[in-house]
Amino acid sequence: MEDAVLMSPPAEAAIRCEGLTRYFGEVKAVEELELSVPRGSIFGFLGRNGAGKTTTIRMLAGLAHPTRGKAWICGIETTNADSSARRTFGYLPQSPAFYSWMTPLEYLTYCGRLFGLSASELRQSISQTLELVGLETASRRRIGGFSGGMIQRMGIAQALLHNPPVLLLDEPTSSLDPAGRYEVLELISRLRGRVTVFLSSHILADIERVCDHVAIIRAGRLVLVSERDDLLSRYAVSAVEIEVEPENHPLPERFLAALRSQPWVAEVSQDQLVLRVAVSDQEAARRQLLPLALEFGLIIRRYEWVRPTLEEIFLKVSA
Amino acid sequence: MLISAYLLSIGLMISLPPILAASLRRRFRLPWLLFCAGMLTFAASQAVHLPLNERLAEWGILPGAGRLDNPPLWQTALVAGLTAGLCEELARAAGFALLRRYRALEHGVMLGLGHGGLEAMVFGGVMVAATFSALLPLSGSDLQALPLLPEQRQTLELQLNTLLASPWNAMLPLLERLIALGLQVIFSVIVLQAFSPTGSKYNRLRGAGYILLAILYHTTVDAAAVWLLAKNLNPWLLEGAFALCLLPGAAWLFWRFTSSPPAIHSAAPLAQEWAVFLAALRKEFLQQWRTRRILVVAAVFGLFGMASPLMAYFTPQLLGLIPGGEQFASLVPPPSVADAFAQYHKNITQFGFLLAVLLGMNAVAGEKESGTAALILSKPMNRWAFIVSKFVTQASVYLGGLLLAMIGAGSYTAVLFEASDWNVWLSASALLYLWLLPFVAITLLGSVIGATTSVAAGAALAGSVALLLIGSLPAASSFFPGALSGWAAQLGAGTPPQVWNGGALAATLVLCLVCLLFAIAIFEQQEV
Repeated sequence: MEDAVLMSPPAEAAIRCEGLTRYFGEVKAVEELELSVPRGSIFGFLGRNGAGKTTTIRMLAGLAHPTRGKAWICGIETTNADSSARRTFGYLPQSPAFYSWMTPLEYLTYCGRLFGLSASELRQSISQTLELVGLETASRRRIGGFSGGMIQRMGIAQALLHNPPVLLLDEPTSSLDPAGRYEVLELISRLRGRVTVFLSSHILADIERVCDHVAIIRAGRLVLVSERDDLLSRYAVSAVEIEVEPENHPLPERFLAALRSQPWVAEVSQDQLVLRVAVSDQEAARRQLLPLALEFGLIIRRYEWVRPTLEEIFLKVSA
Repeated sequence: MLISAYLLSIGLMISLPPILAASLRRRFRLPWLLFCAGMLTFAASQAVHLPLNERLAEWGILPGAGRLDNPPLWQTALVAGLTAGLCEELARAAGFALLRRYRALEHGVMLGLGHGGLEAMVFGGVMVAATFSALLPLSGSDLQALPLLPEQRQTLELQLNTLLASPWNAMLPLLERLIALGLQVIFSVIVLQAFSPTGSKYNRLRGAGYILLAILYHTTVDAAAVWLLAKNLNPWLLEGAFALCLLPGAAWLFWRFTSSPPAIHSAAPLAQEWAVFLAALRKEFLQQWRTRRILVVAAVFGLFGMASPLMAYFTPQLLGLIPGGEQFASLVPPPSVADAFAQYHKNITQFGFLLAVLLGMNAVAGEKESGTAALILSKPMNRWAFIVSKFVTQASVYLGGLLLAMIGAGSYTAVLFEASDWNVWLSASALLYLWLLPFVAITLLGSVIGATTSVAAGAALAGSVALLLIGSLPAASSFFPGALSGWAAQLGAGTPPQVWNGGALAATLVLCLVCLLFAIAIFEQQEV
């Protein structure tokens, strides 16, 4: 495992996996997964299609049986068919399915009874959850007539109903339109610090936006675990982007030649009005790059030290 | 008092094994798979044991019916004990060989409970129910008037005396089955010792030694039972002697458990499990109502119930209206109450069976296919509660439907023919209801086995047809649900003799229970 970092001691972990493995015949869907998810974090579980994200979440939820290995949520094993462990988490599958003949109110009442909530707790919890996901007005409508976004919000509602310390969300935004995605991500962000969210996705922008920790799985194997900001800085390339005004186009050859001759410049590339300069010595570049540009009379529209995107890191790591 | 005592004894023989297994499951977090595997090892052993003993009797090695040159008692006891020991212990060893993940002591106990449990249900509950219901009408009657051989009459007298002597005697078969259950558990744990995690030559020899030990122990116990039974001892004394055989094994088992005690699991409180079951039950009833299944069942049963006497009453007239049918109409005897009931019986057995399969086939498969099961089972929903709630709901809906059918049929019969004997309608409908239940249970099992509704439908239909076919075999007919349908027909027709078939009643309940246990065991192992 490359760059794998255990972020907290197992005793403090909200989710912990030890050697979690699942084979489907010859296919190794998940292999020797060692993972520790800190409490209160929003943990992004990234991987290409078929990498093993859903299998991992289904094993965590006790719906799929590991070939070997174990998993715990809040210290209670979930991979041994013990139904009491299911009180510790809420689960949202990739495509949540509900009884179409039920209303959200009836479905949530049913779920609440399974969790042993009293009548008053149930009333309060249902009202709060429906408000949180914005389904109060549809609470007495049949779920069978709901749109995809409403189904997804209903899925989040049923996962949150019993106020679990951990949420397992499998691709919660994959079937939503941009507005729906925004709403769901906002909802997840609001849970930060209160609930540990384990979120699988292949939509990197979503993960980058809400997650504070990231793991990348490739062909069933965990290849990277890190805090998001650590990861971004660790993979940061030393590069500067300079965008100039149109009257500076094309850039003077003398300026480009002078730039390439600097000892701290590693590579120079140009795309229309944007000049990208990879540097070998950041300090020297910080001191000399702007004066050099001004010396050649360039009018600068934007000057920015480049930060890598999660997408770039993901493509690099998961290739 | 006597009847109540026997009903209690029969009920306990059938229900105690699964109750003990349920308690063990909670304490040690054991799967129902092991209990069902035990039931299978028992069934497999008997599939070899019973024909083997028949063949040995043909060869004169074991006593046979009507033979004059029966072998000596010592030989009978030894051979009968040895065949039982060989067949049952080798079947058990095969079971453990297949169940490689289960090597702990408690696993052996659970498998033993399943093995001995099915034995208690079939050779205890069903057989005692059959014997009791057959003998009870003979109490007080003149046995000399019966066409029996002198030795048969003597045996019958002895059985009747034991049966009627005291209600406490009803507890004798229960005691015997409990001792046998304990022995089966001990044999299972002994056989389990044969399966060591390492496969060295020494361990293989040691393993073979354990299997041999289990066979010898089983042989000794069964041989002693055959020997003592032939001595016509006081039945309580006989059970006491039988219990003595249990002692060494029980002491060994106790030592094994105390020397390496298994981890005890802190299961959710029982009240919590039942609360989950009640929540599931509530949802199932709501589903039956919202999806209009209750209305479909009520309409079909109600309609065919009411139509039964109408069809019986108007058939000759309808025949007369058909051109050329007048000549046949005169041949048809005037319709009677018996005809109305025969029509009712035919309608209920045909449409009840179809409804049970059609409405039940997607109960579990449909939820697996749509994904609703995955979401619900990620919550603290016990798999047994998921399955049993579906069975109870369906059984209740059919009960309501059958009541409607009975009221409709009985009322129209009273209007068209003569005042109905409601006792007959009620008894016959109760029998038809019990006849229907195994099909509901088999369909539910099919729905668990099938990954999709169509596969579930095929499995349910195949199981139901197999049940009907096996029930039509002369050797099995009196112990299968078909006997209940025949009994109901006999009641409706008023044909004597009206003899209770307790064996068929008990066998039907056992069949439902076994189907449900298998459905739970399989569902527990499935990924959804």
